[in-house]
Amino acid sequence: MLSVREAGYSYGGALGIAAVTFEAQPGELIALTGSNGSGKSTFLKLAARVLSPTSGDVFFENRSLRDWRPKEYARNVAYLPQEPDTTFAMRAIDVVVSGRAPYLTRFGWEGSSDYAAAAEALEMCDAGHLSDRFLDEMSGGERKRIFLARALVRRPQLVLLDEPLASLDLAHVQHFSTLMRQVVERTRATVIFAAHDLNWAAAYSDRVLVMKNGALAADLNPSELMQPDRIRELFDVEAATVMVNGKSWLVPL
Amino acid sequence: MLLLGITLVVVIALAVSFGATPVSWSALFGDDASARAILLRIRIPRVLVGALVGATLAVAGLTFQTLLRNPLADPFILGVSGGAAAGAAISTAFGLARFPGVVPALAFLGACAATASVFLLARRRDHTDPTRLLLSGLVLNAFFSAVILICFSLSRQSDLTAALRWMMGTLFGATWSEVVLVGVFLFVAMGVLVWLANDLRMIAFGEEDARSHGVDVERVKLIGFIAASLITGAAVAVSGIIGFVGLLVPQLIRMVWRRDFRFLLPLTAVGGAILVVLADLVSRAVIPAAELPIGAFTALLGVPFFLSVLRRSR
Repeated sequence: MLSVREAGYSYGGALGIAAVTFEAQPGELIALTGSNGSGKSTFLKLAARVLSPTSGDVFFENRSLRDWRPKEYARNVAYLPQEPDTTFAMRAIDVVVSGRAPYLTRFGWEGSSDYAAAAEALEMCDAGHLSDRFLDEMSGGERKRIFLARALVRRPQLVLLDEPLASLDLAHVQHFSTLMRQVVERTRATVIFAAHDLNWAAAYSDRVLVMKNGALAADLNPSELMQPDRIRELFDVEAATVMVNGKSWLVPL
Repeated sequence: MLLLGITLVVVIALAVSFGATPVSWSALFGDDASARAILLRIRIPRVLVGALVGATLAVAGLTFQTLLRNPLADPFILGVSGGAAAGAAISTAFGLARFPGVVPALAFLGACAATASVFLLARRRDHTDPTRLLLSGLVLNAFFSAVILICFSLSRQSDLTAALRWMMGTLFGATWSEVVLVGVFLFVAMGVLVWLANDLRMIAFGEEDARSHGVDVERVKLIGFIAASLITGAAVAVSGIIGFVGLLVPQLIRMVWRRDFRFLLPLTAVGGAILVVLADLVSRAVIPAAELPIGAFTALLGVPFFLSVLRRSR
């Protein structure tokens, strides 16, 4: 469904990513990792059509992103930025329902079905009780859940999440990881999420991409990644792995 | 909205009947020709220009704040009013201020020039950076202040009084043609902003976020910025510099109704109209026969109200 072909992006001379090639199928849950500044966010922005590649091309459903009408693409693909702007804090339900914007006509307003979808998305993200609260009365993790609900309220086929697990507490990291799995299984959507924590990335995905210096350094399944040699090669970190419940967990040495 | 609308009607009614010569609304249909003339030629146009200018400045402020996602943005900080003032100061220095229409025309041109330069200064490749936009506005303001000071020291004493009065903001001598001028500008700009309302509402969540929702961000920014600047230019041209409306009213409305741009747009327009008509009324009432600067009263009235709302809001 998503096909990235030799795509590169440079920020006025500074390299974002270079010649990344990658293919995602429907129903995949993919983690995107790599050290700071390795190009994870740039990768997601190219796929979200927020940035246009300066070289190569990105295709969705076999059509170049350049040929998609912006609103039409937005109906299919949701993107959660690392830090959504909350300068003008509104009620959670109003924030979530704004995620339906790609479906609105120019002068259109949300209808009751949009609000119902928003309430459902909030419920799904364990944030139904926050519905009438204002964003500036919430903790960082609660806000994150509101914006996750906003990304899912479009019922997208491709969900791109930039650091969705950052600033969530342990219980909600777990809840959210299960939620991503549910989304994938229920709707056959593809989810790509950037994450710093290798353990969570590996534990809750089918496939892990590792970015290094703007290039795609590895595209592995989680068990292949969680090997001390691989970790040393990709992250310059000495680590051991322990097995718990049939999954490998990484312990830095 | 209904409440604000009723308040506006009451304030307008009061402002029309109050003045150096008290005239009631019934004079409009009475036999007293001079009372009718006061109403039709002086009071009503003055109050209407006040209402339109207030709505215009407040809407421009709301648009700038939304586009830049900065609650401190307003026509002054972005240099638009400063450009208008510099235009007026130049016409005064060259002794052109005595010819009717020259000051407003040059003020309008000044506002346009300021907008264009702020936008060009802030533009980087295909992108306009909100922080650079604010910074460029601040720097241009310093430049315009210099221009104004030099022009004033070159101006004749007799021209200077009129220029100063204009700089402090006044609705004195407002005419029906000014009502039409500001009205047309405001009407067209409101049309454009309603057309862009759904997009502007998304831009409030951040530019990348808006783009991922299918909004053509750069185009909306350009059109919104031009529309807000043109109406500021028109408002400043007819009424001089009336401060605080563009900053205060959108903030105030947002503190009471914490909703998105589509809700805030009409509320802000009505709120701005109320503030300026009220400020004009008070400025005429404090010392009868003396006209105190209206810009001072928008601040004097607005600031305490603003502070009380600020204290009550979280």
